[in-house]
Amino acid sequence: MRVLVVDPDPARAALVAEGLAGVDPLEVRHAAVFDHAEAAAFAPDVVVVAADSPERDTLESLREASLANPRPVVMFVDRSEPGLAEEAVRAGVAAYVVDGLAPGRVRAVLEVAMSRFALMNQLRQDLEKAKADLASRKTVERAKALLMKERGLDEEAAYRLLRKLSMDTGRPLAAVAGDLLAFAGVLKGDRP
Amino acid sequence: MRLKLGFVPLTDAAPLIVAQANGFFADEGLEVEVSREASWATVRDKLMVGALDGAHMLAPMALAAALGIGSEPAPLIVPMALARGGAAVTLSARIPADGLARLVEQRREAGASPLTFAVVFPYSIHNYLLREWLARSGVDPDADVRIIVAPPSRMAGLLAEGVIEGFCAGEPWSDAAVAAGVGRIAVRAGDVWAKAPDKVFAVAEGWADAGPARLQATLRALLRASAWIETAENRPLAAEILARPEHLAVPAEVLANGLGRIAFCRDGACVPNRADAVWLLGEMKRWGQVDADLDAAAAAARIYRPDLHGEAARALSA
Repeated sequence: MRVLVVDPDPARAALVAEGLAGVDPLEVRHAAVFDHAEAAAFAPDVVVVAADSPERDTLESLREASLANPRPVVMFVDRSEPGLAEEAVRAGVAAYVVDGLAPGRVRAVLEVAMSRFALMNQLRQDLEKAKADLASRKTVERAKALLMKERGLDEEAAYRLLRKLSMDTGRPLAAVAGDLLAFAGVLKGDRP
Repeated sequence: MRLKLGFVPLTDAAPLIVAQANGFFADEGLEVEVSREASWATVRDKLMVGALDGAHMLAPMALAAALGIGSEPAPLIVPMALARGGAAVTLSARIPADGLARLVEQRREAGASPLTFAVVFPYSIHNYLLREWLARSGVDPDADVRIIVAPPSRMAGLLAEGVIEGFCAGEPWSDAAVAAGVGRIAVRAGDVWAKAPDKVFAVAEGWADAGPARLQATLRALLRASAWIETAENRPLAAEILARPEHLAVPAEVLANGLGRIAFCRDGACVPNRADAVWLLGEMKRWGQVDADLDAAAAAARIYRPDLHGEAARALSA
């Protein structure tokens, strides 16, 4: 079985392709855009496409068999399991298969694609969170240093003061620290 | 009430985008997220599974989806039309102004590959306009040329690279190709048809039935936005809103002309006329997309709902 993965996100496409290589299909390729000539040469049995790819409409048009496309393409919907198509849409994956391919085999492909999409989402969220955590830690460190300098506190006392401000105002530590730095800038006259 | 409405980045998505940006949805007590979608197929699928509550959609696609043509049947209805007359055929400078039929003939004699044209979707006024224009130029759209589907944002690039010789898409993509110096306009929808029904607002029938008040509030906000866009002095600001990176991400000056040319609500362009649906189904029959014996009037009556538009329009004028 030949599978083509079309996804504008190369990292995600690679992840999906890698996951699929573990299923029984033999050949997996990925591309950022759908190219008629390349696709014709590769002759995929299944095309997995990201819902956020503008190429989906091109693939839709191949559903009608024509001279240019003698092998009719259908969008994969397994009627025996009503939830599956919906799950795929929500996961952001669509699959097109050459008519006549066994649903069970397509299902395996689709499930791998969905799980890899979810994994990628998780990775992205983790990365965003790690970045945000790092940024707030830096802000807290700078606010602590400011308090130590201006109020003559030691590090522990400066941190306790920030914590108290945070609890009294019911706002996150990083937000309080950010305000403190901003106001200090105004008082020192380096901000308008 | 929270809603999620989808749009494809095109000038005629303006009513949804403006209703959101100008607070017209909020005025109706609606909390709306407008979601930019990358393809028509995704818009349809999301509407079908309830991941979107309503969407900007190609009128023929709404009909096809509701009839189960080209997809699983999606019980969609059209309570409002969004735009008329935005489509245009854009040609590369390589194609002579009125020698298309001769060029096609020459290439056939020389054994060259057929000329390739692109449209945005099989079920679209763009496909029918290109076909009508080719037929009027003495070219058989099925036998003499190849028609492919490509994303509108890539049309200008495909034209410049010589992959296609012409395309039919909605604004801003024709104006963008002209502005980039890679194409010229051969014909606009308005030159061929007095009314060229283009985009509609589609919702799932079940969603409409489950909350008639919610639907009416949505329609009122969209109608206000359409009227606001139609007011000439608002157009520069409308272009600016559409130009934003989260919307079309296209320079405002490229959008301005198209905004003036598209009919949003003038001459009844907002009304989901059943006659328009019947006419579109006629085009779909003509090009073999639906069975010739389909009862177009019955399908139009089921899918197009001028009564729902009328209720919202009356509430606004009261």
